[in-house]
Amino acid sequence: MANLLEIQNLTVEYKTRRGTARGVDNVNLNLEENKTLGLAGESGCGKSTLGRSIMRLVPYPGEVVGGKILMHLHHDVPYPKGVISKGIVNILDLNEDEIRALRGKEIAYIFQDPMTSLNPMIKVDKHFQEIMKAHDPEIEEEEIRGRAYEILDGLGISPERISDYPHQFSGGMRQRVMIGLGLALRPKLLIADEPTTSLDVIVEAQILEEIAELKELFNLTMILITHNLGVLAQTADDIAIMYTGRIMEQSPTELLFEDPLHPYAKALLESVPDVQHPEKKLSWIPGAPPDLIHPIPGCMYNPRCPHAMDICKTTIPDLITVDGGRLVACHLFRGD
Amino acid sequence: MALVEVRNVKKYFSVTKGIVESLMTREATYVRAVDGISFEIEKGEVLGLAGESGSGKTTTGRLCVRLLRPTEGEIIYNGKDIATMKGKELRRMRRRIQFTFQDPTSSLNPRLKIGDAISDALKLQGIGSADERRGRTDEILERVGLSPASSFYNRLPHQLSGGQKQRVVFGRAIILNPEFVVTDEPVAMVDVSIKAQILDLMMDLKRELDLTYLFISHDLATSRHVCDRIAIMYLGKIVEVADRDRIYEDPLHPYAVGLMNAIPIPDPKAKKAEAVPRGEIPSPINPPSGCRFHPRCPMAFEKCPNEEPELRDLGNGRQVACHLYDN
Amino acid sequence: MSQQETAISGVFYYLIPRTGDWKERSRSFLIGLAVVVIGSLAIISAFIGLALRSNSGIGIYVIVYTILCAFVVLISDAYRKYRIQEKHMTPRTGWLFLSAIFIILGFVSVVVGLFWVPESEGSLSSALVLGGTVLGVVVILLYDGYPILEERGSAGYVAMAGLLIVFAMVYMTAVSWWVVPYDPRDLDVGPYISAPSVQFPLGTTSLGQDLLSRTIAGGGIMLQVAVLSVLVCFSVGVPLGLAASYRGGVADKATSLVMDSIFAFPGLVLAIAIAAMLGPGVVNMALAIAVVYIPSYFRVIRSQVLTVKELPYVEAAIVLGARDRDILFRYVLPNVLPSAVVVMSINFADAILTAAGLTFVGLGLPVSVPDWGWDLTFGSHQLIAGKWWVITYPGLMIVILALGFTLAGEGLNEILTPKLKE
Repeated sequence: MANLLEIQNLTVEYKTRRGTARGVDNVNLNLEENKTLGLAGESGCGKSTLGRSIMRLVPYPGEVVGGKILMHLHHDVPYPKGVISKGIVNILDLNEDEIRALRGKEIAYIFQDPMTSLNPMIKVDKHFQEIMKAHDPEIEEEEIRGRAYEILDGLGISPERISDYPHQFSGGMRQRVMIGLGLALRPKLLIADEPTTSLDVIVEAQILEEIAELKELFNLTMILITHNLGVLAQTADDIAIMYTGRIMEQSPTELLFEDPLHPYAKALLESVPDVQHPEKKLSWIPGAPPDLIHPIPGCMYNPRCPHAMDICKTTIPDLITVDGGRLVACHLFRGD
Repeated sequence: MALVEVRNVKKYFSVTKGIVESLMTREATYVRAVDGISFEIEKGEVLGLAGESGSGKTTTGRLCVRLLRPTEGEIIYNGKDIATMKGKELRRMRRRIQFTFQDPTSSLNPRLKIGDAISDALKLQGIGSADERRGRTDEILERVGLSPASSFYNRLPHQLSGGQKQRVVFGRAIILNPEFVVTDEPVAMVDVSIKAQILDLMMDLKRELDLTYLFISHDLATSRHVCDRIAIMYLGKIVEVADRDRIYEDPLHPYAVGLMNAIPIPDPKAKKAEAVPRGEIPSPINPPSGCRFHPRCPMAFEKCPNEEPELRDLGNGRQVACHLYDN
Repeated sequence: MSQQETAISGVFYYLIPRTGDWKERSRSFLIGLAVVVIGSLAIISAFIGLALRSNSGIGIYVIVYTILCAFVVLISDAYRKYRIQEKHMTPRTGWLFLSAIFIILGFVSVVVGLFWVPESEGSLSSALVLGGTVLGVVVILLYDGYPILEERGSAGYVAMAGLLIVFAMVYMTAVSWWVVPYDPRDLDVGPYISAPSVQFPLGTTSLGQDLLSRTIAGGGIMLQVAVLSVLVCFSVGVPLGLAASYRGGVADKATSLVMDSIFAFPGLVLAIAIAAMLGPGVVNMALAIAVVYIPSYFRVIRSQVLTVKELPYVEAAIVLGARDRDILFRYVLPNVLPSAVVVMSINFADAILTAAGLTFVGLGLPVSVPDWGWDLTFGSHQLIAGKWWVITYPGLMIVILALGFTLAGEGLNEILTPKLKE
C-alpha cells in the first residue's frame, strides 16, 4: 500500500516569553492509504501540534521550523489562481492559496470541542454551503443539499434538521455535524483531534461506529488523535505513541497491546483501566514529563524509566525499525 | 443504620423564560435534574454513582453536601436530616461531610497559596490558632504527598501539575477530619498515567481516616477498580444498583447493558461491542412518559411508556427499576 | 549577583554591567533609560532653575528639602529590604516600618514648615509634606516596582510611565506656590498678553499675570476635585455593586435600574446640571463628577461579582463552611478589586477633564483661584486674536495629566489581570 503522507524530521517550536519549547521534535511518520493511524499520548506530548501542522494550522506562538510533510496527491487540485499538479507535494512549501485549496478538499480536520467549532449564527445548511462554495463557486444548490443529506444520513441525523441552528443540537449531534462538514468535500485524509473526548460513552461508541462506516464508504485515511487507548484499540490499525514531542513507538495495534516495546508504552498500557479485567492492578508512572522549555538531554523519559542506562541520559535514541515493521526509539533495541 | 440515607430526593431547577413565553404559558418549566431517588451508603463503603451527563449524578453529589437544597425529600446523615439545615448547624455539619471538585484548576483560588487554600478550611470553621493551623496544614501536605510541605505551602496553583493540584483538593477535603466525602469525577481531568496515583491516595486516606465515599464518575472502567457498589443513574432516576462485580458481569437494566457494551476496552482482540442504544439522552425538562429509557430501549413493551417502574429490591443487594423484572 | 544583592539593588540592577546578554537586553533598556533620564533631567533642571528665582525666595530650599525626604525614604526602604532578606523582619512589618517612616517625615515636615515661614499658616507645611511624600512614593515605586517591569514587559513600562507622569504633576502642584517666579494671583506683573519672552517664558495673560506661574500652580484645584470625586465614587460605587450583585433578586434589579438610568446620561451634561444646582466650590464640583461616575464602578464590580460568585472555588469555600460574609470579603472582593482600581484610574482622567469642562463653562470656582480651567476659558477668547499661549500651555497640562492617568490605568489593567496561559 502506498503512503498517503510522509512526515520527515518535522520540528515545531513555540516561542514564548519564558523561552522556546519544542512541541514536535524531529518526528518521522508514515501514513498508509486507507488506514487509521492512532496518535496517542498524554497532555503536552505534541500530538495535537503534530496533527495541526499537517494542516498548517499551528497556533501562534508555534511555528514549523524544519522538516517536510509530503502528501501524495492522486489528481490535480485546481484553485482560483492555478492548479496543484498531482504527485508528491510538500505541504510546508505551499503558498496560502494552495494550502487553502487542500484544506477541506483533500485534508479535513475535526476539532475536539463541537460547542465552539460551529458558528452559532448560521444554520447548518449554510455551513455546508459555505464550505462547498469556497472550493467550487459554481456548485448548484441541489448538489449541495444532496451531498449534505447523504453524509448526515450516514451519521444518523435526519434531513429536516439541516435547517436548524447549532445550538439546537446536542453535543453528540453537533460533533456529527462537524464530522459531516469535514467529509462534505470527500477528502482523502481526515484528522480527528480528540473527536469524542467531550462526549458520553454511549454517544462516543455510536460516533466511532459511524466514523468506521464512513471510512469504508469514502475510502478515507484517518489520523485519530486521542489519549484514550481504549478507543484506539477498537478503531486504529496502527498506533504511534508520543512523549515530549517525539515518537516513542509506532506499532500495529494488536502488536502494541500484546507486547509493547518502549518502556513508556508499556507503563502507559499498564495504567489504563480495563473494565473486563478488574483484578489488574492499576499502576502509575512516578514523576512527570519535563518542562519543554528546559528539556533534558538524551531520552527525556529516562528519569522515569526503570530500564534507564547511561547512554539514555546523553543520546537521543533514533526511531529504528524492529521486528520488521515496528518502530521504536529506545536504546534497549537494536535495529533490523 | 446506614451512614447516609437518601429518601425520595428531588431537585428541580426552574428555567427562566422570556417575557412572551412566561405570559403565554401558565405552567412553570423545570429541569428535573433529580426526580425521586433513594439509596443508602454504609459506613466505610465506597458507593459509585455512574451515568452520563444529564443523568443527575453531579446534582445528587451536590445535594449530599448541601451545596444545593433538595426540592423534596430527605437526606439523613447519621440519623439527622440535613436537607433543611441552615446557619450554624449546617456549618458545623460541614465538618463531617466534604466534597472534592472535578476540575482542580478552577476549584482552587488562583490568588491563594495552596497552603492557605488548605488551611482556610480550618480558618473558616474557626479551628485552631495560626500556628496550629500551619502545623496541621503541613501535616496534610505531607500526607497527600506534597513533600516537603515547607516548599509546597507557598506555591500558587498555576505552579503545580494537574495531579499535584488534585492532591491539594483532596488535602483540603480531609483537613477537617470528615467522615463522608463526595468525590465528583476525581480523576477525570488527570492524565492516564497519574490516575492510579490519585486513586491510590484516595484509598489510603480511606483506610487511615476511616472514610466513606460517594464516587461520582462517568468512567465505568475506573469505577470498577475502587467501588464496592455501583448505582447507575439515567435522567434523574436510579435504574440499577448492584455489587461491583455483579453489575459489570451481569447487568440487568437495558440501559446498564448498553452502557457496559459501550465502554472502550484497551484490547484490540476483545469482541466488538454489541449494539449500543440508539439516540441520545433526552432533555430533563421533558422526560419521556413512563420509563424514561423506553424510547431507546430495545426491550420496551406496552407497559413501559405508561407506567414508571419502581426501584425494586431483588435481594443480594441488587435493585433494578425495570418492568422486565416486575416479578 | 546573588539573590540577596539582586533583591536589594532593585532597579539599579539594570545599570550594572553583566556579562553576556548585557549587550542585548540592557542595551535597549539603557537607550530607553537614557532618553527618559535626559528628558527628565532637562525638565528637572528647568524646574530648579525656576526655583532659584522663586517669588517666595525659598523655592530651591523647598525642593532640596523634599529631595532629602526622598533620600531618607530610599535609605529606609533599602534597610527594610535588607532586614527582610535577613529574615529579621516579615514583609508585613516591613510595610508598617515604611509607613511609620512616612508618618514621621510628615510630622517633621509640618513642624519645619510652621517654623520656617510662620506667616504661611501651614501652607508651607502642606507643601513640604505632600512634596516629600510624593517623592518618597516615586522612589519606592521605582525601587520596588522593577520586577513588574521585568515580568510584564510593555505593560509594566506603560503603567510606570503613567504613574510617574501623575506623580510628577502632583509634586509640581504641591510645591508650586513656593517655587514659582511670580505669585500666580498677582495682577499686572507684566505687560498684558505678551508673547513668551525671557522674563515670562510662557507669556502673560490678559490681566498681566505670569502664565508660567499660573500653569505650574493651576493644577491644585483640579487634582483636589479629582481625588475627592474618585474617593466618593469608589466608596459608594464599590460597596453598592458588591451588595447588590451578591444579594441578587429585587435589590439587584432595582439598583441596576437606577444606575443604568444615570449611566444613560452624557457625563458632562449631568455634571453641569448638578454643579449648577449645587453652586461653585471644590466639594460641589467633586460631588457632581462623583455622581456621574458611580454607575461605572457599580457595573464593573457587579459583572465581576456575578462571574466570580459562580466559580468552583467559591463553591469549594461554601463546602468548607464559609458564610456569606467570608465569601464576600475573602474570595470575591480580592478578585474584584483590581478591576475597580482600573476604573479608578480612568475615573481620574475623566474627572480632570470634566473639572476643566465645568470651570470652562463657568460652574467651577471663583475666578481668583489660579486654575487651568479658567485659563482655558480666557485663553479661548484670546485665540481668535492670535494669542495662542494662554490656552495652549494649561491645555497641554490637562492633557498630560489625563494621559498619565490613562496610561497608568491601561498598564495596571494588563498587570492586574493575571494571564493564565502563555
